Amino acid sequence: MRSRKKLVITVLACLGIACPAYFAGNLLFFGFPEEGTDYPGTLLPFLIILAASAAGIILCVFLRRRISGTERIQARASRTGRSGAKDLIPKQKPSVFMILRWGLMIVFSFFMIAGGLLFGLRISSLSIPVLSCPWNREQMAEASCYYLSHLNELFELPLTDILLFFASTLGFTIVLGRIMCGFLCPMGLIQDLMDKLRQKLCMNGFTMNEKRYQAVKPVKWCLLFLFFGLWFAGGNFCNFCPAITVSPILAGMSTSLYVSGFLMILVLIGSFFKRRMWCLVCPLGYLVGLLHKISLFRIRKDCTACTECGACYEACPMGIKLIYTERENTDVTDVNCIMCGECIRKCPEDNALSMTFAGKQIYTASRAQVMSSYQRNLRKEER
Amino acid sequence: MQTEEQKSKTAPGREPQTKYLREQQKKQRQQQRFIKKETQTAARYLGRLEQLSGAPAAMQPFVEVLRRIYVEMQGVETDRPTIGTYCVMVPQELIYAAGAQPVKLCSGNYTAFSIGDDLTPRDACPLVKAVAGFQHTGLMPVYRDCSMMVVPITCDCKKKIAGMLRDSVELITLHVPASREDADMEAYLRQLYELMERLEAATGSPISSGSLAEGFQMVGRAQAEFSEFIRLRKSSPALLRGTHSMAMMNASAYMSADRWADAMHGVNLELKERIRTGEKISSRSLPRILLTGSPIVFPNIKIPLLIEEMGGLVSADETCMGERGMWDPAVITDHSFNGMLRALANRALRPCPCPTFADNTQRIYRLKQMIRDNEIQGVIYHVLRGCLVYDFEYRQIEEELGKLEIPVIRLESDYNEEDVEQLRIRIEAFIELIKLRQEPVRRTGIRESF
Repeated sequence: MRSRKKLVITVLACLGIACPAYFAGNLLFFGFPEEGTDYPGTLLPFLIILAASAAGIILCVFLRRRISGTERIQARASRTGRSGAKDLIPKQKPSVFMILRWGLMIVFSFFMIAGGLLFGLRISSLSIPVLSCPWNREQMAEASCYYLSHLNELFELPLTDILLFFASTLGFTIVLGRIMCGFLCPMGLIQDLMDKLRQKLCMNGFTMNEKRYQAVKPVKWCLLFLFFGLWFAGGNFCNFCPAITVSPILAGMSTSLYVSGFLMILVLIGSFFKRRMWCLVCPLGYLVGLLHKISLFRIRKDCTACTECGACYEACPMGIKLIYTERENTDVTDVNCIMCGECIRKCPEDNALSMTFAGKQIYTASRAQVMSSYQRNLRKEER
Repeated sequence: MQTEEQKSKTAPGREPQTKYLREQQKKQRQQQRFIKKETQTAARYLGRLEQLSGAPAAMQPFVEVLRRIYVEMQGVETDRPTIGTYCVMVPQELIYAAGAQPVKLCSGNYTAFSIGDDLTPRDACPLVKAVAGFQHTGLMPVYRDCSMMVVPITCDCKKKIAGMLRDSVELITLHVPASREDADMEAYLRQLYELMERLEAATGSPISSGSLAEGFQMVGRAQAEFSEFIRLRKSSPALLRGTHSMAMMNASAYMSADRWADAMHGVNLELKERIRTGEKISSRSLPRILLTGSPIVFPNIKIPLLIEEMGGLVSADETCMGERGMWDPAVITDHSFNGMLRALANRALRPCPCPTFADNTQRIYRLKQMIRDNEIQGVIYHVLRGCLVYDFEYRQIEEELGKLEIPVIRLESDYNEEDVEQLRIRIEAFIELIKLRQEPVRRTGIRESF
């Protein structure tokens, strides 16, 4: 009975996604005039999305305080805090890995968006499987998502282009794997920035658990199905994809937005409360992740050193539980792992978790790293 | 008025009153006897602790605290209200956030045990009997001063002692789940919110994200020092004795995290100095022993004392008043208030290798890791009489460690000194066994030809 109810809800939810995706071309969010607009004007839809998301976030917070009892306690607790409270919250010293990650994410996103426009850097023969919208004709390298969701157009290309497309996409998938999600993807950067904003404001997020992660899975499969199949049914995934609202608009292209605009508002609100919310359902990322068994970046675990403290699971934006329950395999790379390194950063046991590239350790968990949150305090007192 | 009083004294009511007085005197004598015996035992064990060679001079603050609590019978040195806690599942951070001082009340006292023996069933564990004894006599300031007690229900004895304590003190129980799934963790989180409200009511100062962050800083700094200490303790040859280390851990129960961290910092400096000067506790390589099992609480430190007096070395311990209580940090992954509390709930349940959990295989991994890190040669599994949960896990651990060819013995003890001789014989034999397995140290070169 219960499983039947679940099934019905899942099917309805998938239909609820599929319908607007199919009719995406008819639901206009923001239309530009035929002849296009000049640069500052093209930013208008982006600003509308930001404003709508901000309003949505405020509404969510307001409603939550109305409904939830514990939320009221939390609200009171964060209100009565003294002004310096935020500085007291223990923060780890930034590691080289994390600085590199943020730096790469920002630089790469910048180049993908404006590389062609500002520097004339265009390597259009290479296709990288990240969600950086290829509607932006000025970007540095091609994103694979367009041809993957429009397979007919792919096979109309000359043979060398098809081969190049497959070679580069597969090459990136195997060499980099989902580290592209954590290090390169502009959609990821936007979501991480939203999360950073919430952390700075010390606002409560939406806490996930195993059940909720399970409930999100059908949505991911549904989106994957739409990603490949929408073209065959006569739709266009690009009208639905939220990534289109970022790159082309910021690069100064007047791209009319359809359902994507509405979806992007949802993604922004969602990723504010839950880190990397879109990545949980991203079809392209999942596709890249499917080849995780042969990709060169891996997460490794020393199962004896692990105390099963679950800090990695708490830190993981993708809700990979395996990483803390695993007790036999040393390889804990998962389809969903975006290689953001959060688990390793939060792991308090020396060497328990590490990231390797082709067998070479590049980032390792250490207790000193976790304890660095308190070392600052220590030094202050010694002074 | 006066005449009435005189009347009442000389009137027929006089008989019961003298009886009452006599009972009062008897009670007073009992109390004096209790205090005398209690302080004597504590002082004796403190003496043995200090006589044991290799004690770092920086250990003195910890000894002073233990002396203050058990020999001078004074309360915890603090101007905050104290909150009594049992087990390691009570988040100290939250108590500091409420402007209070947590005190661990798990007891190892022989004198209190003998009183508690009459109040509890025969098969109850001695730790709980001692707690019952202290609460009954009402003489121990550490227990008397508590504004509230927090009792996680980790075993049947704890559950029933919570019921007994409830009569005389304000008390809150925390239900500890049998497994560590997401839903269990969330249920524990809800209880922490409840605990938070009760703490606020008891101390009168509200908990805010600022004060909670302060609590994190206090406990975190102690844990940072402790991590450093454990790193030093792992070094071989050993820099200090396990009994001393366990006494320091025990003292943390009655010290504020700040003061404990400061004192620990001193010990760490001294140990680093020992590395620099090459000072060792013994010129011989002592058999390195891991002590695990039921809690070892001062003054019931007879087992680690015996091990080290017999020429062994407790190079690591996996007990809840020892390393376990401090080792796992609460890792904040989300800077919101809820995120901080989640970190506390997570830390309380997930890494804790307490046998109260139905599936506790992680304890075996923990032991294996400790054996690897500390170059352990033998494991002593301590079971308090009546401590069923620990006794249950012995078989599995013996089996697993047998695969690693690590000798294990199970030592059952009670809170009295009657079993000391028997323990001494068994420990001595165990240490001899390890020594036999050790590679003999050649004092002269191998003779190669006649």
